[in-house]
Amino acid sequence: MALSVTTQETVVRPPGLEFLINGQIHRLDTGSSVAPTTTLASLLREHFGLTGVKIPCDQGACGACTVIMDGKAVLSCMVLAVEAAGHEILTIEGLPSDDCVVKAFAEQSEPGYGTALQCGLCTPGFVMTARALLDRVPSPTISEIKEALSGNICRCGCYAGIAQAVRHASEIVPKASAS
Amino acid sequence: MKPAYIPRVQRSYVGQYRARIDGIEKASGRAKYAADLTVKCRVPGLLYAKVLRSPYPHARIRGLDVSQAARLPEVVDVLTFEDPDVACLKPTNAGWTDGVDTLSYERMMWRRFRDRRVLGSHARWVGDEVGAVVAAESEEIAEAALRLIKVDWELLPFVLDPVDAMAPGAPILHPELGDTNVLPEDTVGGADVFVDKGDVAQALADADVVLTATTTYHNATQNSLDNWSCLIEWNEDNFTVWSNSYEAHQTRMHLSEMLDVPLGNIRVVSPYVGGQFGRGDTGDQPFFLFTALLAKRTGRPVWFRHSRRESFHDGRQHICYEGALGAKRDGTITALSFNSVGNVGAYADHSMFAIKFAPVEATEVAFAHIPNVRFEGRGVYTNKMPACMMRGVGNSQLNLILGRLVDGLAEAMNVDPLDIACKNFGHQWEELPDKSLVTVLQTGAARISWTEKRHQPGEGPIYGGVKRRGVGFSFHPGWHAEWQELRRGEVHVTMTVNADCSVTLDAPTVETGTGSNTCNVLGCAEALSFLGVTSGDIHWISTVDTDASPQDCVQTDSSVSFLQSEAMAAASKEVKGKLLERVAPLLDATPPELDIDGGFVYRKDGVGGRWSVKQLLREASLDPITVAVSRRPLATRTGVPFIATFAEVEVNTDTGQVLVLRLVVVNDCGTVMYASGAEAQQIGGQCIALGESLTEEIIYDERTGFPLNFNWIDYQIPTMADMPEIDPVLLEVWRGEGEYGACGLGEGTVTCTPCAVLNAIYNAIGVRIDSIPVKPETVLKALGKIGS
Repeated sequence: MALSVTTQETVVRPPGLEFLINGQIHRLDTGSSVAPTTTLASLLREHFGLTGVKIPCDQGACGACTVIMDGKAVLSCMVLAVEAAGHEILTIEGLPSDDCVVKAFAEQSEPGYGTALQCGLCTPGFVMTARALLDRVPSPTISEIKEALSGNICRCGCYAGIAQAVRHASEIVPKASAS
Repeated sequence: MKPAYIPRVQRSYVGQYRARIDGIEKASGRAKYAADLTVKCRVPGLLYAKVLRSPYPHARIRGLDVSQAARLPEVVDVLTFEDPDVACLKPTNAGWTDGVDTLSYERMMWRRFRDRRVLGSHARWVGDEVGAVVAAESEEIAEAALRLIKVDWELLPFVLDPVDAMAPGAPILHPELGDTNVLPEDTVGGADVFVDKGDVAQALADADVVLTATTTYHNATQNSLDNWSCLIEWNEDNFTVWSNSYEAHQTRMHLSEMLDVPLGNIRVVSPYVGGQFGRGDTGDQPFFLFTALLAKRTGRPVWFRHSRRESFHDGRQHICYEGALGAKRDGTITALSFNSVGNVGAYADHSMFAIKFAPVEATEVAFAHIPNVRFEGRGVYTNKMPACMMRGVGNSQLNLILGRLVDGLAEAMNVDPLDIACKNFGHQWEELPDKSLVTVLQTGAARISWTEKRHQPGEGPIYGGVKRRGVGFSFHPGWHAEWQELRRGEVHVTMTVNADCSVTLDAPTVETGTGSNTCNVLGCAEALSFLGVTSGDIHWISTVDTDASPQDCVQTDSSVSFLQSEAMAAASKEVKGKLLERVAPLLDATPPELDIDGGFVYRKDGVGGRWSVKQLLREASLDPITVAVSRRPLATRTGVPFIATFAEVEVNTDTGQVLVLRLVVVNDCGTVMYASGAEAQQIGGQCIALGESLTEEIIYDERTGFPLNFNWIDYQIPTMADMPEIDPVLLEVWRGEGEYGACGLGEGTVTCTPCAVLNAIYNAIGVRIDSIPVKPETVLKALGKIGS
């Protein structure tokens, strides 16, 4: 009897999609307004209200929509929402409030390098790209930093401050996280 | 550790190196921009507007059939140019913006050329908003509906080059304004010959040395990351606009005057804006109007946002300058003559500001000691993207020819160009040499090792067999000093001291990233330091709301940072007066017998002790003490300080690649209001300046008039990997009026770099390149390695 109920439920209710976002499971039922062409970036913003994800270009050119998927920095405007189902997604909202990268970006004011942000629209993308870099390479060289962050555009031009912030963050990354 | 700047006056807060006040909010992704407040899950009834854009550089709409589009499910409304709501709208232009002071339709700038229609039928560039706009349940549906609109186009001949556009028989873009594409004389810019001091022709004939050059500044765009947008919602007879425009009260005036709705019935809310750089300072604003109309007709909130491609809607003027310089044998410049032709694109917008107004200002503050100066300039309509305001408007283009002539004269006379600059340039309020200019140039030269690195053109050492290095510089008057901000009207600030001595600061200005918000807090802490408050006790209101805030201080001229702080310095005396009135009865004294310092009230005669302000405030009435001030900028003419960029480049003579090795950016700014923010502007400006120097330009298919790179793959913005080491140098030599006597800084940081790079390239390879951007093929052509 119990078995047949389960079977019936499975038939009546199509599977939908499950997303693991910032440690929480989010479910999208079939029939929701998510189209097959909806990008992960759009899903995160419009459906889940995760507006730390920005979409200035929607063509993979600026990096402002960067999120971490299964530990790797990805451009969420270049990932279809359906592709992201079942994967582990981390947006800037999922970083701990005392994340050392966030703090380093916020606090950069070392003379000669300016601040690490001005208008701030590109900042979440830079923070997530830098976060993924430091997870992989805890003490990157300046050329590794430049290489890793060269897919992100900061039109305010705070590149010197950003590089400095990443260096400062790398000095305070707990070495244990490398293991 | 790099060297910190040395302040002329030690202050407690103003001038600090410190984090931005919005640092954590922005770095954590919590800062909300207009597009974040309007996501579908926050505004459930949201409709999306999309506008029809011309696929042709020049065409007229003979007729539209929108029936199929209107029938598409989930399309809610279609508005066309034939609709009475649209057809009745007055012609408009960019004069709504950069009025600095709020302007009405009658008083707006450029009244001679109101050349834009809201959803007109005459398309003048590929991308022009014409004909119809659709509101639908999703962006995709709105786009699909646009594709279903049948347009009967009448194709017209087009012209892309301004010289061709001036020739007889050229297609006329704005027949309603006259039978020529040359913009008419106007009330701001003046006649074609808009500066004519002394007798330039005679002075050139009499000169010992005459030098001529032609420089071309290509078109670039601002590329703010926060695509321009608005959400509009009506409630009975009033409506609210959420927008990422850089001005709130002026946006309200624009909507009120164009839609005939009383100012009080319109509320404009502007939260954080993701970059401006002149982006919103354009005539491309009809989207506010048709979005408002759609919201009214549908009774639902309507959202319009430019896509990335559509965000290429205005930029820098492509200007070609012919310059002539006459000088005596001792290096004294006797004549400067300039003739410019600017490609303004399809609409005039603020182009005459760049072509005429900016050079007039530069003449006044930098060429005052040169007896003969003449400027002639024309703005010409073509079927390209309109040009308007972009960071460094007009001065960037002028600097390219100015720095080129100074470098060329020095070479002709075999002297150092630094000496030519110091010998000749300065404002009329000071003797030559100008102390600011001398200090700026000497400091920059020392930082880049000018004497060691400068050599005869093309005669330096060769690196790796094919690479040559060189150094160059360019200089320009800074902008804007307080006296140049007179047209701004009044600057408003409201300070509220709460009962616990915390301070709520309403210094309304839209936060576009410039850091003026942190300047405000530092200025407020400085002004109220007698209360013993620190910058952490001050809450800065980050959203401008026309229902709640006094008029916002518009983010132009890079001067908000000091204008509002000057107002706060004035307001603080009133705060002290009110506070003493409040607490005097508690101390059995009269206010004149008391004073406050470091957070304590004391009797001036020394009797009694010191009483904590905080404690007294809690014992007195708990009402907050609010002081609202408005202050006109001071008119005392103090001249302006100077700015300069020094560049070191390496040119690969095999590949043509130019690598900028180092930039030294020097700003004399009177008083540094916020050191970290100022350095961020100096460093940050180089992203635009180096982009314009080396990679950024809009490329058109000459055959079809179609722009080819309205995206960030083909239009190349420098990334971190492309940027050289930048040395930001802040100086305080010149001083303006007022408590701080500061000067605008951010905008000018882009001005001198392209010319500094070109002069450095000449120093490296000994062949002149006089146009930007300098791409590898430009270098190889100049070297004669490939055909031109």
